[in-house]
Amino acid sequence: MNTGILKAEGLCKSYGKNEVLKDLDLEILPGKIYGLIGRNGAGKTTLLGILTGQNTKNAGSVTYDGQEVWENQAALDQICFSRELQGSAFGGQSSIRVRDYLRAAAIYRPGWDEEYARRLLEEFKLEPKKKIGALSKGQQSMVTILAALASRAPLTILDEPVAGLDVVMRERFYQLLLEDFAQTGRTFVISTHIIEEAASVFEQVVILDQGRILENCPTEELVDQFRYVSGREDVVDEAVRGLQVLTTHQMGRHKTVAVRGDPVKLEVPMGADVDVSPMNLQNVFVALCGHGDAQ
Amino acid sequence: MHGTLNDQSLIYLQIARMLEDDILRGVYREEEQVPSTNELSRSYNINPATAAKGINLLAAEGILYKRRGIGMFVAPGAAEKVREKRRAAFYDGYVRPLVREGASLALTKEELLAMVERAAEEGEKP
Repeated sequence: MNTGILKAEGLCKSYGKNEVLKDLDLEILPGKIYGLIGRNGAGKTTLLGILTGQNTKNAGSVTYDGQEVWENQAALDQICFSRELQGSAFGGQSSIRVRDYLRAAAIYRPGWDEEYARRLLEEFKLEPKKKIGALSKGQQSMVTILAALASRAPLTILDEPVAGLDVVMRERFYQLLLEDFAQTGRTFVISTHIIEEAASVFEQVVILDQGRILENCPTEELVDQFRYVSGREDVVDEAVRGLQVLTTHQMGRHKTVAVRGDPVKLEVPMGADVDVSPMNLQNVFVALCGHGDAQ
Repeated sequence: MHGTLNDQSLIYLQIARMLEDDILRGVYREEEQVPSTNELSRSYNINPATAAKGINLLAAEGILYKRRGIGMFVAPGAAEKVREKRRAAFYDGYVRPLVREGASLALTKEELLAMVERAAEEGEKP
């Protein structure tokens, strides 16, 4: 049902002197769930805004199914971007009622599924009459999730959908997402800071770092390229020779390094007297994007 | 299916292993249907593509087979195939680490063998 590829080429974006996106290329293929991860200020929201024609760019192009996205209603009808709500006391959407926010979404989204929206409204126990500013952070996230899922858009993008949700609701969100995905096979792009529990949901992971795409590949393939190797300093050094060492942690003679390599080559040093353990997506992310801050 | 996923190995490998365990335990018998990709995706909150990868791995090894339009089934002789596969991995996965750990504790070969014998005998008791 969904064949559109979202393609960004040579994207550049600056806010004043601050270069946020630097000659960025990205391809989002149909029928997959993508996770977009990056540190604070990496440019995630800016990127998502530009991909969906809601932010301006300084250079580059964004196309969906070969058509330029910017001010192109036909393309934008296929793409739903559910932004984080700005529900602070001043400005943003704080004075709008939940009911009216969803009514607006229903008008703008050609594929809006009112029955699904009602079901989610009930499940999330959201009061339609309440103003968005009066909702908790978690409830605001539920509104954005509801709007995104009920949009039934072939390409649905959610910015930090689980921010402020408790662990039960986060799990429920991923369940709802997978149920919807199993039924529709539509494309999802989800940005999040809570990486580990989402890793198994993302078929594909995109890592944004300092305005550039660092990785865009199948999650498990990426994770399998990394290992922790630990043991006595000299034995570890010998075992990881020729591999890319990302981080090093030393305590006396004990040394732990995070290494990257071909999964097959990573099995080679196993003969040595060192402990080799797998990394999870969060470990990989810290090793790639920590830039020394985590030491 | 039961158990939970951990991050000590790739998820599709864990899915494959859990299905194998259930085949060995007789949860799924020969010619019986195993859970679908979507069922696995739902019960473990994982991407259906990952679940499919686990199932396809077992299909490629002849442990599961596909009935078109219906789903995946346990192949005849599947339990024996799983046992053979695990026996092949037993030496590297269990015996060698055991010997290595014994050596780092300065256990002699005789002491280690005596322990294995004792464990084998005690294994019969509750």
